[in-house]
Amino acid sequence: MKAAHNLVAQVLRHPESAVSLSLAEWDLLIRQARHADLLARIYALLDDQGLIDSIPAKPCAHLESADTVVKRHAQAIRREVLCLRKALATIDLPVILLKGAAYLMADLPPARGRIFSDVDILVPKGQLNQAEAALRLHGWASSHHDAYDQRYYRIWMHELPPMMHLKRQSVLDVHHNILPESARVHPDPVKLIEAAVPVGEDQSVKVLAPVDMVLHSATHLFHEGELEHGLRDLADLNSLLRHFGDSPSFWSTLESRAQELELTRPLFYALHYANLVLGTPIPESVFINQTVSKPSWLLVAIMDALYGRALAPVHPSCSDWLTGTARWLLYVRAHWLRMSPWLLVHHLFHKAFLSQKSS
Amino acid sequence: MNVSALTPPELFSRLKEAGLFLQAGPFITHMQTSIRSVAEGIGLLYADYPLAEDTGFADFHVHLIPPANLRRWFRPQVLFSFDGRIPFKPLPLDQAFPMLEWGMNWCVSGHSHQYLILHAAVMEKQGGAVIMPAPPGAGKSTLCAALINRGWRLLSDELALINKASGALVPLCRPVSLKNESIHVIRRFEPCAVLSREVRDTMKGTVAHMKPPAGSVTQSHVSARPAWIVFPKYQPGAVTRLEPQPKARAFMRMVESAFNYSQLGPQGFQMMENLVDACDCYEFTYSNLDEAVAVFADLKLPVR
Amino acid sequence: MRLNQKWQVAAENELLYHSWDDEFVVYNGATGDTHLLGLVAAQVLLKLQQAPADTVSLAEWIAPLQQIEPDDEFVFFIEQILTDFDSLGIIEHTQL
Repeated sequence: MKAAHNLVAQVLRHPESAVSLSLAEWDLLIRQARHADLLARIYALLDDQGLIDSIPAKPCAHLESADTVVKRHAQAIRREVLCLRKALATIDLPVILLKGAAYLMADLPPARGRIFSDVDILVPKGQLNQAEAALRLHGWASSHHDAYDQRYYRIWMHELPPMMHLKRQSVLDVHHNILPESARVHPDPVKLIEAAVPVGEDQSVKVLAPVDMVLHSATHLFHEGELEHGLRDLADLNSLLRHFGDSPSFWSTLESRAQELELTRPLFYALHYANLVLGTPIPESVFINQTVSKPSWLLVAIMDALYGRALAPVHPSCSDWLTGTARWLLYVRAHWLRMSPWLLVHHLFHKAFLSQKSS
Repeated sequence: MNVSALTPPELFSRLKEAGLFLQAGPFITHMQTSIRSVAEGIGLLYADYPLAEDTGFADFHVHLIPPANLRRWFRPQVLFSFDGRIPFKPLPLDQAFPMLEWGMNWCVSGHSHQYLILHAAVMEKQGGAVIMPAPPGAGKSTLCAALINRGWRLLSDELALINKASGALVPLCRPVSLKNESIHVIRRFEPCAVLSREVRDTMKGTVAHMKPPAGSVTQSHVSARPAWIVFPKYQPGAVTRLEPQPKARAFMRMVESAFNYSQLGPQGFQMMENLVDACDCYEFTYSNLDEAVAVFADLKLPVR
Repeated sequence: MRLNQKWQVAAENELLYHSWDDEFVVYNGATGDTHLLGLVAAQVLLKLQQAPADTVSLAEWIAPLQQIEPDDEFVFFIEQILTDFDSLGIIEHTQL
C-alpha cells in the first residue's frame, strides 16, 4: 500500500496552491486535516492570504466550522488565564504560560486556528507547593487519585498531576521544568523563568522568551511519544520559526541558548523536520554550526524513515505498511529519552499490569 | 440520478465496493457497508434521494463495519466508522440501520458549526416554518410525522440548521425516527406511511424510521423562514391546548435544545435573539393527533 | 456582611442583553453563559454597568422604580441578587 500525498503539508507550505485543488483533492485535504487537527489552521492561513473567497463552498464550510470552534475556545482560554492570574496573585507569583496558552496570550501566529486541550504554566520548583495550595483554594483539584500516578508524577515528572477546575472543568498542567527529572538532559528551569517576558503591559502574565519558546516546542515534540498530533506540533514550530526568524539576532541566540540548555539535539530535529516537511526557511549557517549535535548520517536516515511517517496526518490515506511500526518505535524512543532504563521497565510493567487488571 | 434508479443488487454492490454518495439537505454522505439490512433500509427510505457521485467530494465518510470472523456467529456486532475513527461503542448487528441514522446525525451536529444547530423538528407550510424543540418523550417526532402526512413540508425531524448570514432554516430532510408506541400511532394515523422494519431493544427501545414525503425531498434546497416556535408535550388524555410562551423563557429553552449555541459565542446569542424575536412562541399540550393537526393548520403567520 | 462595600461588573465580562416584556436574557461573553433575569435583577446589573455601587444605594435607586419602600426586606432581596451574580462570575467587589 502506497501512502497518498500529504496534502495538509502541501497547503501549509504553499497556501496559494489550495486555490487550484480539485474537489476530489479538497475531499482528501479536509479528511487529512481533520485527523491532524489542522482544519482551523488551514482556515486561518487561507484567511490571512485573502484566499477564503476563492475556496469552493463545500470544503469551505468545514474550514469555517472548525474556525468557529477555535475562536470560542480562545475566548475560554483567555478567561482561564485571568482566573489563574487572580489565584497566583495571592502568593505574588506571575503566571508563566507555556505552549498554546502562551501563543494565544502573546498573540503569536501558532495560536491562529489552534485548539489546545489544557493550559500549561511554569512555576519555580521552590514555590510549587505554595502554588498548588493557592490553586486549590481557587477551585482547582488534582485529577489523579491513584497513589502510583501521584508518586510517579511527583518523583519523576516535570509537572504535577493534571489539575481540573471543579466548576469550569478546565484542565491545568503545572510544570516546574520542561523535561522530566528522569530525562537524560536537564535544562535549567531557573534560566527559563528569568528570561520570561511579560505579555503586553501586564507584569503578572508572562511567556517564555522567543528562543526558549522555540526550544521548548522542539523539546516537547521530539521527546513526546504520542505523535498523533505530530504534524500539528510541527506546524506550530514552523509558524514560530517563520515569525521570530525575521529578527537578525534570533538564529545566533537560538544556537547559543540551545547549547546552554543542553537542547541542541531536539533543536536539530526540530529545524531538520520543519524544513523537510513544511519548508521552514532556516539559514544555511545554522545547520553548519549545528554539526556538533547533528546525529550520524545513518541515524538521520533512520529517523527520517520514522518521522517521515509519524509526522504525516493520522489518516488511512497517509499510512503505509510501516506507519504503525514507526509510531511504535518513536513511542519507545520517547520513553527511553525521558526515563532511565530501570524506570522505563518499571513504568511499562506497571502500566501493562494495570491494563490487564482492568480488562 | 436517484437511489431508486439502482436495483437492489446494484445498490448492495455499490455500498459494498465504491460506496454510495448520498445527497441529503446540504450534505453529501459517502456510505460504505456490506451489511444487507443497511442496504435494504437505504433502498426503502432513501429511494427519492439524489446521488452525488460526480463531484468527488463528500462531507462525511462513514462505514458500517460488520463483525469479524468469530463474532459473526456469537452476538454479532456492528461498528460505526467516521473516516477510520470509531466514535461509538459497537451495537448489536440488528441495529445497523438505526446506527447509520444516529451516526449521520452525530456527523452533522458535531462538525457543522457553520450553522446554529438545534435539537428540533422543523416543518413548513405556505412560507412559514415551525420549530419544535423538545426533550425525548415529548412526542416531537410523532407530531412531526403526523403533520408531514397532512400537508406540511418536512425540513428535519431532529436537527434544525440555521444559516448564520440569513437566519433561514436550511432543510435536512431525512427519515423520521419513531419510537415505541408512536410507531403504531403513526401506522394507525396514516396507513399509507412507509416505515422501515422495527428494530427492538435499542437504547431508545423499539425504533422504526418513516420515509419522508417525496415532495419534501425534492424541495431539499429550499430554505424556510422561521415563524413559530412550539414546545410540544404529549400527555395521555390531555385536552389539546396551545398557550403563548413568554419569549425570554422560550429563549432559555431554545438554548437548552441547541447543540452548538455555546460554540458560536456572541453570534449564537444574536442568532437566537433574532430567531425568537421573529417567531410566535407557544407551549402545546396534546393527546389527539387529528386535533393537533387542526390547531397547526390554524396558526397565523406572525405580524411584522 | 458588609453592605457598604461596592460591587462592579467584572472587567472581563462582555454582556449582551435582550428584553421581552419584563424579562431579560443576558449573555456573558467571558463565560459563555446565558442567564434569564427578572426586571429587578436586570436593573441591578444595568446600574452596576454604569458605575460601581453598594447594596443599599442600589436598593434606594431601584425601589422607586418598583414603587415600593427600600426597607430591610428589599435590601436583603437585592443582596441575594448580588450574591447570585457574584457566584456566576458576573460581578465582583471593587478594590478598596
